[in-house]
Amino acid sequence: MARKPVSKAVRARLPRYWVWTRRAVQYLSLLGFLVWFVRLRGSESPAAWVDLPMRLDPLAMLSHLLAARRLLAGSALAFLVLALTLGVGRAWCGWLCPLGTVLDLFPRRRPSRVPDLWRKAKHLLLGAILIAALCTNLTLLVLDPLSILLRALASGLWPAAEQAFGAAERALYGFPALRPLVSSLDRLVRPHLLGANPVDFRAGTVYAGLLLAVLALNAVAPRFWCRYLCPLGALLGLLSKVSLVRRGVNVRCNACGACARVCPTGTIRSEEGYTSDPAECTMCLECLEVCPQRAVVFRIHLRPERRQVYDPGRREFLLTMGAALLGAAVLRGERHARARLSKPIRPPGVQEDRLLSTCLRCGACSRACPTGAIQPALGESGWEGFWTPVLLFRLGYCAYSCNACGQVCPVEAIPPLTLEEKRRQVLGRAYIDRDRCLPWADGRPCIVCEEMCPVPEKAVVLENVEVVQDDGSPLLLQRPHVVEARCIGCGICEYKCPVPGPAAIRVYAGEPARF
Amino acid sequence: MDEISRRSFLRWLGAGIGLVAGEALLRSCGLRPLTPSFPGLTPARTASPEGTAESVTSTSAPTETTSSIPDVAVARGGEPEDLIRRAMDALGGIGRFVRPGQDVVIKPNICVAYHSYEYAATTNPWLVGALVRMCLEAGARRVRVMDHPFGGTPEDAYLVTGIREQVEAAGGQMEVMAPFKFVEVKLPGARDLTRCAIYDEILKADVLINVPIAKHHSLARLTLGMKNLMGTIWDRPVLHRNLGQRLADLAGYIRPTLTVVDAIRILTANGPTGGDLADVRRLDTVIVSPDIVAADSYAATLFGLRPEDLDYVRAGVAMGLGRSDLENLRIAVV
Repeated sequence: MARKPVSKAVRARLPRYWVWTRRAVQYLSLLGFLVWFVRLRGSESPAAWVDLPMRLDPLAMLSHLLAARRLLAGSALAFLVLALTLGVGRAWCGWLCPLGTVLDLFPRRRPSRVPDLWRKAKHLLLGAILIAALCTNLTLLVLDPLSILLRALASGLWPAAEQAFGAAERALYGFPALRPLVSSLDRLVRPHLLGANPVDFRAGTVYAGLLLAVLALNAVAPRFWCRYLCPLGALLGLLSKVSLVRRGVNVRCNACGACARVCPTGTIRSEEGYTSDPAECTMCLECLEVCPQRAVVFRIHLRPERRQVYDPGRREFLLTMGAALLGAAVLRGERHARARLSKPIRPPGVQEDRLLSTCLRCGACSRACPTGAIQPALGESGWEGFWTPVLLFRLGYCAYSCNACGQVCPVEAIPPLTLEEKRRQVLGRAYIDRDRCLPWADGRPCIVCEEMCPVPEKAVVLENVEVVQDDGSPLLLQRPHVVEARCIGCGICEYKCPVPGPAAIRVYAGEPARF
Repeated sequence: MDEISRRSFLRWLGAGIGLVAGEALLRSCGLRPLTPSFPGLTPARTASPEGTAESVTSTSAPTETTSSIPDVAVARGGEPEDLIRRAMDALGGIGRFVRPGQDVVIKPNICVAYHSYEYAATTNPWLVGALVRMCLEAGARRVRVMDHPFGGTPEDAYLVTGIREQVEAAGGQMEVMAPFKFVEVKLPGARDLTRCAIYDEILKADVLINVPIAKHHSLARLTLGMKNLMGTIWDRPVLHRNLGQRLADLAGYIRPTLTVVDAIRILTANGPTGGDLADVRRLDTVIVSPDIVAADSYAATLFGLRPEDLDYVRAGVAMGLGRSDLENLRIAVV
């Protein structure tokens, strides 16, 4: 630390065009990601770029290809990132990855004391993801970096921001003098950034928590996630071993150590003559511009880079394979048991088996759903289906006017249906709980489920009955019944049912057993 | 590790207090409406047009100034804009209700985002557009159109029903009703619903024009002018209990300046959401009255019902909000 002032002085002297350019690209990329994220909400027909970020992700696309056994034309976009990596190494990580940019916003504090061997973890994770994907299991894709960021935003942070903004508006609206101002501000912000009505996520803490944990690890070492854990980083890192442009150090190096101190991934090691491992280098170019000797060079290399102590070995590969196979099998068994206990309600057009081997767990559908019905699963389809989309009708309903989820799904795990097709999808069937329904159980008038039912010929019909009240007087009541053939299971009846707690009309997925 | 210094202790203390304060802030984010109400609002619309207050509040004979003017105007046959202009002319012109410089809110029925106007679940877009234009012609400072749909998002509903296009073409503004603008108010004259969270802009408007579409509803039997006011409140389920009286309580507080019942197309079954053209009948009729009860009473007859078949009409009459004695009302059919 004693030499820090020197390096600062050196840094101030040299123009840092490369670093500035990199930062500009990073912020633009993050901004683009955020704009894309904000625009995901709503049911207007989405733009052509709606699938773009997830389809750029080679880890997601490769796992999807292995698990779904279906080549998506759009997944070819991932080759752009692979080509970039073969050219200039892990530039994705240093220049484009929005999660990486978020991590860079938290400045490093001290050099890492984490042993280099830990870098192996990300390789093992990558191996487990790909082998499990071969067994049609995509559970571990919850650890894809884009998914982590998107899901945390969609189901945790953005709804929280909406709530906070709404609270501020409500508080300021309490002051009559501020009302015109608040109204104008609201008109400016609401249609673009916020929904008409805020949506709530039942486990926002968990969804946002993973991102916060990744951020917190930055306190242990800068870009801890990228160094030790990121499976996408591992994949790009392995490719970077043969990338064209790699970092080197020439004879002018006088071992001042400035480069090692600024390296965000800690891959520049003094004991190796201040060289680095291209599999760990994010091409951030900090070292290039900090070096007072101009001894750092980026040159074309054709021979593969040598193995490092933390690179995956055969024995580890076999162990990982065994663990992944075993894990996938255990998860599958658990899933079958879960399905017999209760089937989750899935977005329109989804086939349960295909969903689990296709869904990237990215959370785009949760973001798109304007009512907040689509929530990342916790236990509904076992751990295998963790964070796949389920509909929770007490929190939202499948709007008859909306087909957004299928339009934004980057891998067609939710099929892209037209609105007409989507209206014919049967998500489940509503059943009335006559022990809790107001007219059935308490003799109180209520027709909300019938009123809300959106199908042209209502699936909830009312039977007129005359009942005798406690005081002996007659009362004309309307009691709801569900017509199975018409019910599409959209869940608006369950959502709007005024009975507290679980609704008195509830939608269940799945067919009754045939006799 | 370092020992805890005073500075770091204070820092953590500050962070803790911030967290607690933040929690309180977050808790206030609930959808609880603002309370108390803003000061200065009287139960009746403050800027009642000439003659309207009398005709709404009294069931006796109309005053001299309005003696030549009918209680209800019914226009039959023609394009929506033609219908509303004829009906308004019969009532003495829009200028009786909208003064130059006034702030007008039009509340159509945009209950769902599911279908276009042909399905008669939502108010006719050209009728709403024409009203916007007429208010602006009468010198209104601003005309806003809004509803609070229960199915689908308001943005979708405004678009799909075709209303946004006509309103914006006519020079009006569509407003998405923001949750924070529902304010909890006491309803002084109410018999059952004594408190309610109502949309502030609707309460504050100088002129409120209520433009329901006439359609079937299982509990209320028909959705008309009084039922359409459900779109002005936050917590709709509350009204379902004792619906007729509570709608009358709400109508007595909100007091629309004018009620325009859209019976150009009516929905005779599977309301309020609709979706089947077989349930739609084309009547090309518009009913206009400053008396919401009278307008609803006349509209009931289009479905073969008597005014007293509707709970809310009976409750409205009992509260003196208006008249349902169609045989004595002066009705101009134009």
